[in-house]
Amino acid sequence: METQYLGEHLGFGQFGNILLIISFVASLLSAFAYLFKVIRKADQDAWLRLGRIAFAFHGVAVIGIVALIYYLIQLHYFEYHYVWQHSSSILPTKYMWACLWEGQEGSFLIWTFWHVVLCSVIRWKGGEWEAPVMLFMMMIQVFLASMLLGLEFGHIKIGSNPFILLRNHESFANLPFIHMPDYLSKIKDGRGLNPLLQNYWMVIHPPTLFLGFASTAIPFAFAMAGLVTGKVKEWVKPALPWAYFSVGILGVGILMGGAWAYEALSFGGFWAWDPVENASLVPWLTMVGAAHVMLINKKNGTSLLSTFILTTVSFVLVLYSTFLTRSGILGETSVHAFTDLGMTGQLILYMVYFLVLSLVLIIYNWKKLKAPEEDEKVSSREFWIFMGMLVLVISAVQITITTSIPVINKMFDTKMAPPADAIDFYNSWQLPLAVVISILIAIGQYFKWRESDMKVVLKKLSLSFIIAIIIAGVFEYIFRFPRFQHVFLLFSSIWAFTSNLDYLIRVIKGKINYSGSSIAHMGIALILLGALISNAEKQVISRNVLNIDLGKDFPNAENILLYQHDTLAMGEYYLSYKGKEKDGVNIYYEIEYFKANHTTGQLEKVFSLKPIVQINERMGNVSEPATAHFFNKDIYTHITYADLDEKPTTEESEEYKKPKEYTIKTGDTLTTSNSLVVYEGLNKTIDKKELFLGDEDLAVGAQFRVIDVNKKNYTTQPVFIIKGTSTFTKESEIKELGLKFAFSKIIPEENKILISIAEKKTNSKEFVIMKAIIFPQINILWTGCILMMLGSFIAVRKRILDLKDN
Amino acid sequence: MKKIHIIGIVVIAVALAVIVSTISSSSTYAPFSTALQHSGKTYHVVGKVNLKKEFIYNPEINANVFGFYLIDNEGAEKKVMYNGTKPQDFERSEQIVVVGKMDGDEFHASQVLMKCPSKYNGNAQDQMKTIGSAS
Repeated sequence: METQYLGEHLGFGQFGNILLIISFVASLLSAFAYLFKVIRKADQDAWLRLGRIAFAFHGVAVIGIVALIYYLIQLHYFEYHYVWQHSSSILPTKYMWACLWEGQEGSFLIWTFWHVVLCSVIRWKGGEWEAPVMLFMMMIQVFLASMLLGLEFGHIKIGSNPFILLRNHESFANLPFIHMPDYLSKIKDGRGLNPLLQNYWMVIHPPTLFLGFASTAIPFAFAMAGLVTGKVKEWVKPALPWAYFSVGILGVGILMGGAWAYEALSFGGFWAWDPVENASLVPWLTMVGAAHVMLINKKNGTSLLSTFILTTVSFVLVLYSTFLTRSGILGETSVHAFTDLGMTGQLILYMVYFLVLSLVLIIYNWKKLKAPEEDEKVSSREFWIFMGMLVLVISAVQITITTSIPVINKMFDTKMAPPADAIDFYNSWQLPLAVVISILIAIGQYFKWRESDMKVVLKKLSLSFIIAIIIAGVFEYIFRFPRFQHVFLLFSSIWAFTSNLDYLIRVIKGKINYSGSSIAHMGIALILLGALISNAEKQVISRNVLNIDLGKDFPNAENILLYQHDTLAMGEYYLSYKGKEKDGVNIYYEIEYFKANHTTGQLEKVFSLKPIVQINERMGNVSEPATAHFFNKDIYTHITYADLDEKPTTEESEEYKKPKEYTIKTGDTLTTSNSLVVYEGLNKTIDKKELFLGDEDLAVGAQFRVIDVNKKNYTTQPVFIIKGTSTFTKESEIKELGLKFAFSKIIPEENKILISIAEKKTNSKEFVIMKAIIFPQINILWTGCILMMLGSFIAVRKRILDLKDN
Repeated sequence: MKKIHIIGIVVIAVALAVIVSTISSSSTYAPFSTALQHSGKTYHVVGKVNLKKEFIYNPEINANVFGFYLIDNEGAEKKVMYNGTKPQDFERSEQIVVVGKMDGDEFHASQVLMKCPSKYNGNAQDQMKTIGSAS
């Protein structure tokens, strides 16, 4: 007989499973209906109607699944594995949405959901493009819906079901207690949302990024629709606003991720060339390339093949990025990769399918796609845009190859590892490329389509060029950049900004409809400039100034120890560690920043920061930085190490900790929490009378030199005694340092001795080890982000207006 | 020859340069024995921390050096000196990767990459632990 489990709410799950099946079957049906609408001459209306009805069912099912999972999370129905794994009953409501997309199933779901939203726009506004575009979008939905099916055929697993019950999940099925009828009463709470993700950026960053990912599918679907209907050029115009939309929204999603990393992670910056970051940056780069060649094609009909290649590549790279982060292949190379859910094969199939489909369609239409014989002139705008696209592609290739090292290892069974200093390696390639890109951004718009008078172009560029040189000169005078490449990027990014501002004022004359590209390019220029200054000129003020030479392998002295109530000078500030406070899983360390007032000679408090160490059961203890924001700089403070054990509260406590034993030979150095201990050798001339020993007894001293933090020397000598058959030790003590030494054994065959050292408990004063970094001018970067977003959406609006004009 | 061809050649040349530079500047996953043979060359060594041996960390003397013993996948154990603070919760790490080179019998690491007990999705064992403590 089957066990009757108590307290379960199985109806929701059964309903959810029905919705999953509806979403899959309806997308398949819709794809076929739209296919017949496109390729068949007869019954077109009927097929179109069927396609729409099936899409409606699919859309309602997907929205239903999202709503149902959110509802289950709110009700804390922990019999569902997904709810148990990603939420808990103590979680604040504002983070409940984050639970929804914390897991892989949820992130596939949110992706599917955005496709439904975007498809709805195509469904009602697509006109003649509805059927062929929906055909490809629905194919994509078939694959995505299958990711959530959770069907198993022998060893083949299709998808991972978000409604699986806790007791049926593979990691619980073999636990005995789970098969008791009242197992639910034993499960008090869910595992909860990873505390690291309980941050407002995590509520808005993932859905924005997934909307960005989803949006790359539309230009791809348009391109494929163009090939399948034989309208190989006409698709570009209606697809153009979508391409700009994708550039804008994906860019914003990526930058939000950077903002989250900057605020909540301890990278020490907003960008670390982490594989997961790279995986979302690369499709953005190619999408920017795609949007630009589509623009060229719309203006003069050239670069047609590039539009197909780049839209396909952008979409497939989004799939590849999903594959990289979801297959567990990144392993050790990333701080935040998902583990394998057994869907690797499915993801590869998905990529290969769309890549092959695109190739077949391109080859089938090859004759129509051949480039016109006419060569683009060097003085044409399209030539320079095309150059820019090529630079973006090179940048994307470099990032992809380096990020794919684990994939290369898997394919060729090699043992390559990422470059030892990966950030430096990426920068050494990307920085020169950024210089070229920003110069192209500066000059591009001054060329006319097809052909322009070079003299006019140079004349128009001269003003912004001169202003840029002056501004760059001022910045260089202030900052003194360490490398000459930095100076190039400094100038080129400033020029990109001034030249686009000049274009906006003098050429466009501030007409808002035409300002999108200038504003977006100004934004990119500021992002590059802000990234350059805040990174190249970041100043670690927590320099360890102790004169301990660590040798060339140990250049890092960026962490500094701060005792409670002590004050240390760092840069222009004086820092003091005031104390700590525990709140839930977080321990807040209050660090006060003072500045010296030169008139009074007093230290005045400027601000205080509370970086966090989070006791995180799931990720290990994590430290979250705290940052003070000023208009011209950020001061970032981060606890790199803190002793989480409780300390004795009274300073006078005479208690000693458990002694530690050491086996040592002459010349060895030991460390205690407050000193270095050097063993200088045995002393065989101990005055035995003083110890009340006879001549036949043996007494040997061990001589130690002890050096404290202030370089003060002490000597001490514990004595080892053999009296008859028994051995004793006479302890010695250094009161000032709270250290006790005992000499307990001689090991003559190894020429070593055994000693032990005990420390007073109060020796370890409360302290933190922290890192403090000043990021100058980082607000330039965030201003750039806002401009880029604004510019992109003005451009989207302009292209939509263009469509309506015709 | 058209401009587009010249540009094409340049792009291909740069792409080749990217591949060559990636391969030449990439490090290698290797056991301690290999790192010992080529001391002075940087390697990625994968291994498990020997939790039975004590960690060497005296922040009050130097916060920027942390030492521990690592057993690589071939079973060889070496002392690793890492240029940095002791990572939070180091005791709980299972498998780690150290990046650096051998110096004498010590491995000098510039990076320590920790694989946490569970990433976004925990493994079964970890989940059982949580359940165990909950009930």
